Amino acid sequence: MSDAGNRTRFEAAVLPHLDAAYGLARWIVRDDAAAEDVVQDASLRAFRFFERMHGDNPRAWFLAVVRNACLDWLKERRRHAAEESYDDDAHGAPHDATSSAFEPPEAAVARAAESRWLHGCILALPLEYREVLVLRELEELSYKEISTIVGVPMGTVMSRLARGRDLLQRRVLQSGRRRSS
Amino acid sequence: MNCAHLQQVLDAYVDRELDPATAGEIDRHLAGCAACASLHEDRVALGRAIRVEVPRFTAPETLRRSVRDALARAATPPTRRRPTWLQAGALATAAAVAGLAAGLWLSQPPRDDLLPEQLVASHVASLAPGRKLTDVAAGDQHAIKPWFVGKTDFAPVVRDLAPEGFELVGARLDHVGDRQAAAVVYRVRNHYVNLFAWRADRIAREDVRIATARGFGVASWSEGGLRFAAVSDVDPRDLERFARLVAQP
Repeated sequence: MSDAGNRTRFEAAVLPHLDAAYGLARWIVRDDAAAEDVVQDASLRAFRFFERMHGDNPRAWFLAVVRNACLDWLKERRRHAAEESYDDDAHGAPHDATSSAFEPPEAAVARAAESRWLHGCILALPLEYREVLVLRELEELSYKEISTIVGVPMGTVMSRLARGRDLLQRRVLQSGRRRSS
Repeated sequence: MNCAHLQQVLDAYVDRELDPATAGEIDRHLAGCAACASLHEDRVALGRAIRVEVPRFTAPETLRRSVRDALARAATPPTRRRPTWLQAGALATAAAVAGLAAGLWLSQPPRDDLLPEQLVASHVASLAPGRKLTDVAAGDQHAIKPWFVGKTDFAPVVRDLAPEGFELVGARLDHVGDRQAAAVVYRVRNHYVNLFAWRADRIAREDVRIATARGFGVASWSEGGLRFAAVSDVDPRDLERFARLVAQP
């Protein structure tokens, strides 16, 4: 396969999913410019490994590549934050998804106070719930596809969705109360 | 089906991921159990609220274009070697620099200049695992400038460029080629920029010039008896912007 032919096939199979890719990256890294960077890097990465793609679902495959690139970015960001004992809050770095259940509370509350409050509530979810929720509710992917992208069994996809929605419902109720008070 | 079992699979039911037989059992249970029906209603309402209220992100036109451009460059390497993906990035960088080079010099560097390869080697080494990127970590030029006093026989330029998107990360002493150099580290998005400075043999001011080596961009210039070189894998447009901000008189 020539490089040019390969590229044509890649563009036809993968580029239609650029919106989904950018959306996923935007929800994971929570920053416009970083999401653009990550998706561009991921696209080149995907192009390079395109010939080795297996399965018949280029969208799920591409989103898996994008998700990995996002996690690399978060890891790198955290590594440097730790190395430089940086004040992450002052520099807009994303927060560690494994710390408390919801963060950053101030930012979430501030967002929740705006018209985009539901959006803010989702952004404040820990990453493992946020990503499955977004893939299911906004990208309308099946459990099987989400399982491919996130690399966990379908049962785990279901339990994370359940937990994520529980957290989100609670948060929405709290924010709603705060808004109306 | 009892309530506990139903609540375990409620999400799969809402998401239509259950087999028809199990889904049928749930239909019947919900019809006769107000508590479970209420939980189900909450889930349905939440899903509807998300779909109605939360906007979909769409890829910006700049991203769409830059991906296409990068693919075009990656698919047609000018060298016969099959490019690794880092090298593909290098080709992309080189092509972008060539396109942007109007007004810049692309001539050979003067003889006593350090080669881009040497600068890139120092840049790469500084980012290697186990190496310290900075000897002093600080986001403030007033913390970094005094740190160099007594360590170098010149005062490196340290600017606060955070408003322009370049965060100051810190500084270290380094070598480029066989010369001692001051290295000031900035970060733009997830890319690092090493700004090297060393004593030059000539005084004349030289404008910013862009070169590439091994996938990295190198912007170099001279000022006040010092040579400067900024090295990074960031978009060459950003690197040039950075260089001009630092070199501003």
